[in-house]
Amino acid sequence: MRKKKWIVPIIILGIWQIVVSGRIIDTFFFPSPIETMSEIIRLIIQGTIVKDIFATIVRIIIGWGIAVIWGVPLGLIVGYSKNTYDKFELIIDLCRSIPAITLFPLCLLIFGIGDLSKITVAVFAATIIIVFNTAQGVMQAKKSRIIAAKLMGASKMQILKHIFFWESLPQTMIGIRIALSFCLIVIILTEMFIGTYAGIGKKIIDFQYVYNIKGIYAMIIITGLLGYALNVFVIYAEKKIIHWSGN
Amino acid sequence: MTTISSIISIKNLNKCFGEQQILNNISFEVNKQEIIALFGPNGCGKSTILNSISGENKNEVQKKFNSTELSYVFQNYRDSLFPWKTNYENILFPLKVQKKNEQVITERINQITEIFDFNELQKYPYELSGGQQQIVALMRALITLPKILLIDEPFSALDYKNNLMVRQYILKYYEKYKPTIIIVTHNIEEAVYLANKIIILSKSPTQVKSIIHNPKKYPRDINFLQSQQFHEIKNKVLTAFQEAT
Repeated sequence: MRKKKWIVPIIILGIWQIVVSGRIIDTFFFPSPIETMSEIIRLIIQGTIVKDIFATIVRIIIGWGIAVIWGVPLGLIVGYSKNTYDKFELIIDLCRSIPAITLFPLCLLIFGIGDLSKITVAVFAATIIIVFNTAQGVMQAKKSRIIAAKLMGASKMQILKHIFFWESLPQTMIGIRIALSFCLIVIILTEMFIGTYAGIGKKIIDFQYVYNIKGIYAMIIITGLLGYALNVFVIYAEKKIIHWSGN
Repeated sequence: MTTISSIISIKNLNKCFGEQQILNNISFEVNKQEIIALFGPNGCGKSTILNSISGENKNEVQKKFNSTELSYVFQNYRDSLFPWKTNYENILFPLKVQKKNEQVITERINQITEIFDFNELQKYPYELSGGQQQIVALMRALITLPKILLIDEPFSALDYKNNLMVRQYILKYYEKYKPTIIIVTHNIEEAVYLANKIIILSKSPTQVKSIIHNPKKYPRDINFLQSQQFHEIKNKVLTAFQEAT
């Protein structure tokens, strides 16, 4: 069954190769998959993009990590009672509607052109998603378990720590996974702006300046593979942590 | 009038959900170390009575115990156990909540495992059968050695074999620690087998129709189910139930 996952990508690559080989499209803007893969291998062997990939990963991990550290407790508090959620609902919905990247020019003015601006925007984007999903998870918690804990004499803090946190975890993990994808998007986008010393986004723009089309495709595919790898990592962690899910 | 040995006294308890009256002047007394069965038709408010006993203090429900001396076993054990905790952690949870020290915890675990033949402590609840999950729920309720044990239809989701097993565990615990037990059931056999006082409730709006005493002494075992005495009490309960509904 697992092998079947690769059938569609292989067919697409095959069609791509045929279209390019048959010169149906402009090969300058659409290099073949073989040329693109060769470019990826060349860039990796030369080591010119290693520091860019590393810089992007570090920014993503920092931004995402900060969002998880404060987004989860904040979501627990916001979702703890319907009354509290109602008070936060408007601000959460407003913030969810703001494209995070619109904050970047402002962050550049406040924090300068360094990593802080990029990470701040990523933290904003990821935090809102994590808070929203965690709060939803808390509100969907099984009442019977909360009643059981209350009857055992559990305090509000103990209920938050022992029940709400775990009950909300499946939904929280969904938020954490989406937040990671958002961090990837925001970081790469902000790296395309002025002042970045290294990063996948910067490399894509550099290749654009010199019309290195194969290089652009190579970096796009590397971005996709990076996003996929991060997603697989979170799904793996999710399965390990939420072992009771589906049982 | 509240007697000296009375631990719970319910007087003229009324309960409405919206415009619908559920409980209509419910009054009865529970003495220390009694096993009471609340027996009535489905939806008559048996669980509502338990919730009134476990809930906040009201004038209609006088209680001579504090909230930490009460434990509750829920009908839906699957939704009351914590699947992210092992069975051991589930059972210990009430003691952790009460911030008991390790010595007390070890002592209590030994006391409880003496009664229950249960060796799956390191597994998770979802790895157990329904009967075993109910045993974990029962062990968790009993780990605090409660004075009052409220049990809400504990056998409704169990097959007969597990049903008998859980009943035996309840009686074994009762024999050793003599708590006061109030058990909600809609099964006559369970009520007669376990209780020394069976309260027959009418259909909604619920009233106490009669209270039947079961003179059979404890310990009780499976042979009681086949005895003449058991059938006589069962018939008495059945007659009272038919008159009530």
